[in-house]
Amino acid sequence: MFVLLLLQNAIADVLNSSEWVFPITECFHITAFAWSIGLIALVDFRLLGVGMKRETTPQIAKAVAPWTLLGLAVVLLSGPVLFLSDPRMYLYNPSFRFKIGALLIAIVFNYTIHRKVALSDSASAGVRVLVGVVSLALWISVVFGGLFIAFA
Amino acid sequence: MSILSFFQWLQSTDFMTFIRESGLTYPIIMSTHLTCIAIFGGMIVITDLRLLGVALQDRPIADVVNGLRWWKRLGFVIMFSMGFMLLGSKAPEYYPNPYFWTKMSFLALVFIHAMIFRPRVYNHPEKLDASPVIPTRAKAAATLSLVLWTGVVCAGRLIGYYEPPQQKGHVVSVGASK
Repeated sequence: MFVLLLLQNAIADVLNSSEWVFPITECFHITAFAWSIGLIALVDFRLLGVGMKRETTPQIAKAVAPWTLLGLAVVLLSGPVLFLSDPRMYLYNPSFRFKIGALLIAIVFNYTIHRKVALSDSASAGVRVLVGVVSLALWISVVFGGLFIAFA
Repeated sequence: MSILSFFQWLQSTDFMTFIRESGLTYPIIMSTHLTCIAIFGGMIVITDLRLLGVALQDRPIADVVNGLRWWKRLGFVIMFSMGFMLLGSKAPEYYPNPYFWTKMSFLALVFIHAMIFRPRVYNHPEKLDASPVIPTRAKAAATLSLVLWTGVVCAGRLIGYYEPPQQKGHVVSVGASK
């Protein structure tokens, strides 16, 4: 435990050594989350019958999947760097806890139910709308939770 | 009227005063602004990836461009309105912020990009589909679009990090610094 604490302090020292490390990491984090959440939203909107209506939902879902994953990888690599700059502040921040909870649910949902329904040709209209709305709500919760870290 | 005096007037209006003085309104508008950036951004990214020929290659460019055209415009209007409220409620604090003006410059370049590439690329996607290979002008438009919007997003985030000289060491109230 003590070793972990020392390690965390060493990491935080590096992250806080330059006033530019944190903002630049945040730029990567924000650009990548806009990228990946935006691509997921394209699938959600198609499930709701909005957007690229000449394409089927499976066509859109398959096309965006690798690019979404690329964005999420950058988000999930930059996020912990931001976190490690000041772990105690984040851990005791209610917005941060809400965000991480929403994020875990959103990722699991995205790669299970959302994926299954988006790639299916036979899901009923009701199920499609429900999955689209839940997915949008989850990702919007993550964005709101993330921004409120600085305010709450 | 100078820009600064316009900013001061804007901030003093009842509507902008309400946004500034009610605790939750400002971060809610900012979160909505950010959500719109993500959703609107996804539409831009898929369009650019299609123009670059790296996503939805087996589908017509026209489907992507035409299918998203009005949703992009709607997204932009909401995003812009939210941004205008964020600016208006604290306008004089944004005025000396170099990152704010960097962001405005990127947005001006986005406008010029639209002036140049709308008639050549976005307004006639069928012509791009008729070409055996994706024309260079379409790939140029897509690449520049990705670069410029990344610039807008990053400069936008950095607004929160600027500290005016006389306030060094104090908490900055524009945007959300860490």
